Amino acid sequence: MVISKDQKLCDKMKSVKEFLQRAKAGDIDIEDFLSKVLEKTEKIQEKYQPFITINKKIEGKFSKKLFGLPISVKDCICTKDIQTTAGSKILEGYMPPFDASCIAKIKKEGGFILGKTAQDEFGFGTFCTNCAYVVPKNPYDVERSCGGSSGGAGCITAAADFPHIAIAESTGGSITAPAAFTGTIGLTPTYGRVSRFGLIDYANSMDKIGVIAKEVFDVAFMFSIIAGYDPLDSTSQKLPEEDFTKYLDKDVKGMKIGVPKEYFGEGVDERIAKLVWQKIKQLESLGAHYEEISLPMTKYAIPAYYIIAVSEASTNLAKYCGMRYGATEEIKGNFEEFFAKVRSKNFGEEAKRRIILGTYARMAGYRDAYYLKALKIRTKIIQEFKQAFKKFDVLAAPSMPVLPLRFDEIAKLKPIENYMMDILTIAPNMAGIPMISLPAGFINGLPAGLHLMADHFQEGKLITTAGAIE
Amino acid sequence: MICMTDYWKIDEKLVNHICAAAKLELTEDEKKKYLKQLEEILQVFKEIDEVDTSSVEPSFHPIKIKNNWREDEEKKYEWDPLGNTRHKEDGYFKGPKIV
Amino acid sequence: MKVMIGLEIHCQLSTKTKLFCSDSIENAEPNKNVCPVCLGFPGSKPKINKKALDYGIMVALALNCKINKSMFFSRKSYFYPDMAKNYQITQYEIPLAVDGFLETEDGKIRIRRIHLEEDPAKLLHVGGDITSAKYVLVDYNRAGVPLLEIVTEPDFTSPKQVREFLEKLSSILEHLGVYDSSREASLRVDANISLEGGERIEIKNISGFADVEKALNYEIVRQKGLLRMNVKIERETRHYDAERRITKSLRKKEYEEDYGYIFDPDLPEIEITEDWIKQIKANMPELPHDRVKRFVSMYGLNEYQAKVIVYTDKYLADFFEECCKSYKKPTEAAKWIITYLLKSLNWHGISIRQSKIKPKDFVEFLELIDKKVITERYAKELIKDYVDTGVSPRKIVESKLTKIDDSQLEKIIEDVIKENSKAVEEYRTGKTKALEFLIGVVLSKTNKQADPKKIREMLLKKI
Repeated sequence: MVISKDQKLCDKMKSVKEFLQRAKAGDIDIEDFLSKVLEKTEKIQEKYQPFITINKKIEGKFSKKLFGLPISVKDCICTKDIQTTAGSKILEGYMPPFDASCIAKIKKEGGFILGKTAQDEFGFGTFCTNCAYVVPKNPYDVERSCGGSSGGAGCITAAADFPHIAIAESTGGSITAPAAFTGTIGLTPTYGRVSRFGLIDYANSMDKIGVIAKEVFDVAFMFSIIAGYDPLDSTSQKLPEEDFTKYLDKDVKGMKIGVPKEYFGEGVDERIAKLVWQKIKQLESLGAHYEEISLPMTKYAIPAYYIIAVSEASTNLAKYCGMRYGATEEIKGNFEEFFAKVRSKNFGEEAKRRIILGTYARMAGYRDAYYLKALKIRTKIIQEFKQAFKKFDVLAAPSMPVLPLRFDEIAKLKPIENYMMDILTIAPNMAGIPMISLPAGFINGLPAGLHLMADHFQEGKLITTAGAIE
Repeated sequence: MICMTDYWKIDEKLVNHICAAAKLELTEDEKKKYLKQLEEILQVFKEIDEVDTSSVEPSFHPIKIKNNWREDEEKKYEWDPLGNTRHKEDGYFKGPKIV
Repeated sequence: MKVMIGLEIHCQLSTKTKLFCSDSIENAEPNKNVCPVCLGFPGSKPKINKKALDYGIMVALALNCKINKSMFFSRKSYFYPDMAKNYQITQYEIPLAVDGFLETEDGKIRIRRIHLEEDPAKLLHVGGDITSAKYVLVDYNRAGVPLLEIVTEPDFTSPKQVREFLEKLSSILEHLGVYDSSREASLRVDANISLEGGERIEIKNISGFADVEKALNYEIVRQKGLLRMNVKIERETRHYDAERRITKSLRKKEYEEDYGYIFDPDLPEIEITEDWIKQIKANMPELPHDRVKRFVSMYGLNEYQAKVIVYTDKYLADFFEECCKSYKKPTEAAKWIITYLLKSLNWHGISIRQSKIKPKDFVEFLELIDKKVITERYAKELIKDYVDTGVSPRKIVESKLTKIDDSQLEKIIEDVIKENSKAVEEYRTGKTKALEFLIGVVLSKTNKQADPKKIREMLLKKI
């Protein structure tokens, strides 16, 4: 076993890049490093509560590309023999019999699963407050939200004083929102680019596993590991594997940036808009060109998104009935009574709301006007983006319309007001295009996010652009 | 089938029907609360009626995905399928009766 | 009174693996052929079995259907303890194929649609039946087995026609090699039946053609009785109790069930190209319809014989052809198969494949008749023994012939002559028929265990 040449190395080392270099050089005693990381994690947990489960078992082969790098995983992603609940009471104690494909890849490359991060129940939320276990607190202000639904992932990324990368997931903005609220970098890949096998579904036609980290390099590096075709996921895209860190070497000279005016409109904090414009100007100074455009379908994205999402979600959630796994009751009464009891007792308020809305949207007599109509609106939204990307490499906008909200403010929001907070992230998520959120600056000590979007499979352009800004 | 005149209108009877279909048991207060929230949500969602989709095909995925299948080859999955439940008997899952 | 019957037929396809995962579909200990996909574990994802698609296309072609260029899978949502996900992956708006037909003796039956779906798990009702059990036990081995659902228009006018259709359909499926009739409950039927003046009644989940016919006959009698007494027949779902041979009410149907269908977002669109269909057509096995024609022209059978053999079951037709390879009187073989072998098999309620009957033995049997080693009368008895025991007819005959030695036989013959002096006298006066009578008496005294030829010889010596 290699003894750390510098005993304090673990305390000082914060960046993933440095960790990888030193680990490769054999400078790090991984087990010692990881036990220190676990100590630190416990402390962070006390303060900010990013985790539902912390994995205290340091075992595995920590070599290959990751050398035991601590990786936190959103709780909706299955980890073999580590409790996986998707943030819901209905899956309390659930031990997946298999690893999600992305987790299998991470383990194969020698990553250490640090724990399972907090989230809104099944991803149902914008602020990570619809939580059955813990509500993560924003490291910039513990009275404020980390954003959702991958709130725990954003929280631990911002709070970690050690090298770490978070695996997160987005359906309608669940990577961008926490990245923006916690001042971190969040990459939501193209739909189908990272296998969904082992992801506990929210809305299968929009769910995407992605990455939250402190630096663009970290994001590109981890994305290279988890991306790729998976025969176990029928919606997985057949594309060659790539090292996305190479896009950091490119520059933005000549790049065309579209600035959709709908993303700067009503309801968007002007201070955030201003910071975003500064970043766009920064890109211009680096040789990019920008132009304002209009994406008029944006307005319809929220209803269409929610209708599709809850339609799919309400079918996904039907399987939780106390029979094979998860929360249950004594077997009493007939199946209808038994199922209703288990479900009513263990689903949270927002989950129930989405089940009701979803069941409604696909009911005979309504599904044409809701579900099928929404699928057609999705087509129009995709077409609108496709049209824009004929002309532009990247679209730039604010990540979130607001700064991290205080918990008491969130509690006052009506459900529809809450849904409207997703206005800037919904359309690209529905269209399945890749997007990256990165820090645009601070307002009163609170982080604001810049959102970059690109055409399907053009993650490389996002990494180049984000790298240039960083 | 439930008779409806305006598909953006939801009432208590419909909420009851939905809850029965979705196997959710709500208290009267919960029902009232959800009904009110659903009404507010639907008022906004109604906007999609403005979009002309008459000549538009639905998108089932963001990207068209076709013909991804597997061959008919057997692979035995080694595991304990009953490992996550306490409701079991002689290798069977145990569940509630039908009637 | 006019009767209208429509069917939904669920046929298990005989692929190696399940529709959406790689578990075997073979019978096994409970919950042995299961994985996270067919158990609906969180995070698992389905992947379609290409073979099931091929099989579906084959059936659609055989049933004269229009195949959709592109098809999708949908989620049919309903809660039930046999459902792993509380939705079934099936096809709704855009199924595999539509608008086909199949001819019966009493007219054409239109096929509305054909689609693929997953079989639910198997339930055991503990402490009673479906209406009275205390709880259920669930075996998911069956969950995910590929089902082909064939939906007909309500074109049937009698239960007998339903049975004919089902036998014909089953033979087609077997000829295509997509279905194994020997599997338990591999073909299950939901039947919708309405009598003039009454609402539609659905009888769910009947397996076995005979049971379908029985259930429908029962239902007609029951509904006629109600109508005669002016009792209104309301829409309902009933269950067939095969033991008591009655149907029982499961639930009233006040409105169409609402399954909240959505397109399954875990599964891709399946595009069925002309090339794919061409390829399948090129590899289509001979269909029963063509086989009947061939049996008529090649073996000289009449159409009735050919139809009985081919439509009873593919393996009976295979058996017949195998026999004809070495036995050169096909019509004679057909006669014995249809009139006696089939009767015996039916009496036991088994198919040729479940029996121990082998073509080689059967040919020997036919030759024993031809060579007059055994009489036709005895042969009819022998075939029953053969089906019962599976011992080859030749062996049965041989063993019986050697059971009685000559001295025993001589003794019996002497006794018979003494006891039947009248018949002996008749023979001596020229009535040859009397000899046959005496042979018969001797034969029965030996419990048919002696060789009639030998009896004749020995009798002639004595009288």
